[in-house]
Amino acid sequence: MDCEENIRQLWDYLDGELTEQRMNEIRGHLKSCRGCFPHFDFEKEFLEAIAKSRVEHIAPEDLRRKVMAKLRTAGMA
Amino acid sequence: VADDRPETKLEQDARFEREALPWMDDVYRFARSMTHDEADADDLVQETYLRAYRAWHTFEPGSDCRRWLFTICRNVFLRTREREARQVDTGGDDAVLETMAAVREASPFATSNAEAIFSRMDLVPAIRKALEELPEVFRTAVVLVDVEGQSYDEAAAVLGVPIGTVRSRLFRGRRILQRSLIEFARDAGFAGAAGKEADREGDAHGL
Repeated sequence: MDCEENIRQLWDYLDGELTEQRMNEIRGHLKSCRGCFPHFDFEKEFLEAIAKSRVEHIAPEDLRRKVMAKLRTAGMA
Repeated sequence: VADDRPETKLEQDARFEREALPWMDDVYRFARSMTHDEADADDLVQETYLRAYRAWHTFEPGSDCRRWLFTICRNVFLRTREREARQVDTGGDDAVLETMAAVREASPFATSNAEAIFSRMDLVPAIRKALEELPEVFRTAVVLVDVEGQSYDEAAAVLGVPIGTVRSRLFRGRRILQRSLIEFARDAGFAGAAGKEADREGDAHGL
């Protein structure tokens, strides 16, 4: 299988955005290709690191009150 | 409601309260990621909910309310930042080139000590900083897909652009982020020099 072709779809693969057939082909390729695996592994870790950076902002109580007041003014029961 | 009679206003309001209001933390977080400012995010959330309430009859019951609110939030934000949002060169639809370039740039790390970077370093502050510095169009694509877990299709619906545009913005954003992280890692002493390639065949199942 063509390594370059797989690398071209690396992020699409990690995002699960390919057809089931392509997902399986790449998955199979990664089991045996030492050249490709580290790149996929690195990018997978990279994407997980971005996901972990999520800031858990909680809408402040004051904002909730302001939203409710606005909605009541707009006619919400 | 099992019968076919139209919803009363009271029922509509109750449904809004039940389905739309619980997403306020998510909308607030999304607003903060776009504005970087507490007061601006505050205004943006209020305006989003006001518009959502007024347009509630257009919301299709059973569809994704969170995504619907994100779409409104994004549109309100764009209206206030129209100029900035349109000035950025989004680089065209060159997602594949971005992928290839990112892989090439990360290669010294990927083939030597990837685990060391991600397991030994606390990258969260560096990622947050790099995200803040990303031009808005790239940042929003990365936030929607990588942080909020939306698919390309869902992000395209929120942003009102074709999937190809989401993909190219996302990949370009990722590449810029990755470059910042690599610089950060180098500054912290990770040379990323070619080392002994680990035998990871057995781990491949995890991908």
